[in-house]
Amino acid sequence: MTPTTTRAADGARPPTGTSGAKAAPGPGAAPAAGRRQGRRETLAGYLFLTPWCIGILLLTLGPMLVSLYLAFTDYNLFDSPQWIGLQNFQDLLEDDRWWTSVQVTLKYVLIGTPLKLAAALAVALLLVKPRKGQGFYRSAFYAPSLIGASVSIGIVWRAIFNDDAIVDKSMSLFGWDVGGWIGDPDWALPTLITLTVWQFGAPMVIFLAGLKQVPNELYEAAAMDGAGRWRRFRSITLPMISPVLFFNLLLELIHSFQVFTSAVVIVGAGTNTGGPGDSLLVYGWYLYEQGFHNLRMGYAAAMAWMLMLGIGLVTAVLFKTQRGWVHYEEDAR
Amino acid sequence: MGARRWTARARGFRAAAAAVAALGLLATGCGGGSGSGDGKVTIRYSWWGAKDRAELIQKTVELFEKEHPNITVKTDFSEYTDFWSKFNTQAAGGNAPDVFQNSYAFLRKYGDKNLLLDLNGQAKAGNLSLKGFRDGLEKAGDIDGKLLGVPVGANTFALFYNPDAFKKAGVTVEDGWTWDDFFAAAKKVRKSDGTLYGASDNANVMYLYDLYMRQNGKAFFTKDDKLGFTKDDLTRWWSLWRQHAKADELVPGKKSEQAKPKASISADLSAAEFTWDNFLVRFAAETKTTLDLGPIPTTDGKRTGQYLSSLMLSGSARTQHPKEVAQFIDFMTHDPEVGKIMGYNRGIPATTAQYDAYKPQGVDAKIAAYEKSVSAELEPITPHPAGADVAEAAFLRIYTQVALGQTSMDKAVDQFFDEAESALGS
Repeated sequence: MTPTTTRAADGARPPTGTSGAKAAPGPGAAPAAGRRQGRRETLAGYLFLTPWCIGILLLTLGPMLVSLYLAFTDYNLFDSPQWIGLQNFQDLLEDDRWWTSVQVTLKYVLIGTPLKLAAALAVALLLVKPRKGQGFYRSAFYAPSLIGASVSIGIVWRAIFNDDAIVDKSMSLFGWDVGGWIGDPDWALPTLITLTVWQFGAPMVIFLAGLKQVPNELYEAAAMDGAGRWRRFRSITLPMISPVLFFNLLLELIHSFQVFTSAVVIVGAGTNTGGPGDSLLVYGWYLYEQGFHNLRMGYAAAMAWMLMLGIGLVTAVLFKTQRGWVHYEEDAR
Repeated sequence: MGARRWTARARGFRAAAAAVAALGLLATGCGGGSGSGDGKVTIRYSWWGAKDRAELIQKTVELFEKEHPNITVKTDFSEYTDFWSKFNTQAAGGNAPDVFQNSYAFLRKYGDKNLLLDLNGQAKAGNLSLKGFRDGLEKAGDIDGKLLGVPVGANTFALFYNPDAFKKAGVTVEDGWTWDDFFAAAKKVRKSDGTLYGASDNANVMYLYDLYMRQNGKAFFTKDDKLGFTKDDLTRWWSLWRQHAKADELVPGKKSEQAKPKASISADLSAAEFTWDNFLVRFAAETKTTLDLGPIPTTDGKRTGQYLSSLMLSGSARTQHPKEVAQFIDFMTHDPEVGKIMGYNRGIPATTAQYDAYKPQGVDAKIAAYEKSVSAELEPITPHPAGADVAEAAFLRIYTQVALGQTSMDKAVDQFFDEAESALGS
């Protein structure tokens, strides 16, 4: 898809006729011919763009508009939707389980994201300097996030943290007897958070790229001035990679809010509850349960838009605060 | 020179056109292709269950295809709740499977939305026989005069118990015993056995509570789609179990959650548990402990309130091939070979032809003996309104939260009534 769109984008530029000359710099081309050719290129460009346009219209914009409409209706998937105005949103606010799902998700996001970024940054710092086996370690740490969204990892996690499984058994050896972690209302969420923290590979790679950009002279100069490791990290590394940190934070937050697969798989397919005492009832799952099990698609759509509002709010706040702590090279005036 | 430029443009043009055309081809490739002209028909058959059932079903489908060379059956399966979310999605898109496994609890839910094929017409046309069903089961799928499902197997509720533990505790399980007797037995087992709890905490099982209500002249649901009991009734039932759980006689909520996906009894935590009798097949695979089936405790020493529930096959109202669907259901319910292959995997076969063809052995023999022993007590089934499945899930979840100590009894009962009433109302 990508190569097509980039090429199409090039081709789509000619309405002004300028890049037409770039594509075919014929010295003898008459202006009229050039215009005709330009139009042809435009047409070809749009033709190349069609798949993408169809994609965004049918698969993104269309469904979003429909979902917005459904949020104001009572829709059970089969009978035609009934307009009920703001009723769904009002019901949401009175729904105990909705509040539970908000709480569970916030805990997951607020604890999981900082831990994940810290882990990613720590390992990136270890792996940024050339050392033996560097390539191996980088790919080894990256691998979990490659397979992270897959169901299989959820199943493995479930097997590891189940009753009488490896974690339970080895912890018992040290006298810490929880039993099955995923069946314990107090430990189920920490298990899920461990899973997301373990998948720190993607932000780690981005951190690595950011760390490489930090000019070595700065460290050398700081070292000359007698700055210790911690001081150098705090005063040079952190500010220099703050745009990367900001980017990672934003991405991971948005991503975490949408947690679904891992929670569902860990609790176990074939159950219709949010884990022990709803302790794993993440937002995405409750939305899914309402939409597809309880056939309340309008309600689920309303939930989706509330989530969108929530994520939008968090993103806006982050963008507002970035002036305070994110340093861009261009800003240094 | 100009010509060369033109051909270059033209090539670009053609490439673009080809890309669009390819996209179009892709789209038709996905959509069409099910019906073909040579009289061969493909029907989709989906069901819930696990691998063991998959192997058996594949064998029966091959048998069907051999006898009906013009029909191809594509099968598709998933776990129970996944099955329904997938089904809902497909059905909403107008693409439900032609024929699928169904159960009594869902007949009204989907029947009300006109998703299920009324098989009466096919029966009249002679494509589906309604003769030879056991115990009036041919009426099991009859909802307001429409035949929305045909049972393939039937089962009833039972007490599962560990005979060794009961023997050691010196208690005997006997017909007509009361709930007091049952809890007294659980207490004795707990005292005599240091590791086992007397029973699993089954207060959250809708079907068991239904039996208890029926023993008291009520039922979980009424005929006019409402809850058939009061908040006081439910508080009494849940408190009864809580009281024994607090006395350390029943498996604690946390432990049974941790044992999942195993049941407490098959995880060797408890000596007694209530569920459908055909679960014996599954439990036998999960635990080495021998388990027996015993009678449901009663309120008055007589009536257990039991009934047969059944797993069914239903057709989609939008199927293009109702005749073939009916033929398939007919074959699956009547063919003796199919009965031999499936055994009691989906409960005891619903037709006498299949029932007689299969000679039960091992755990299947136990199930057969149990059903024979209760057959005189069987009554008509409690109606299941649309939304019954949501009410069941709420019943299970909310009492589990009580057992985990997350909520108070009063709050839990209120919450159940809220959720169930709104599910039944919609």
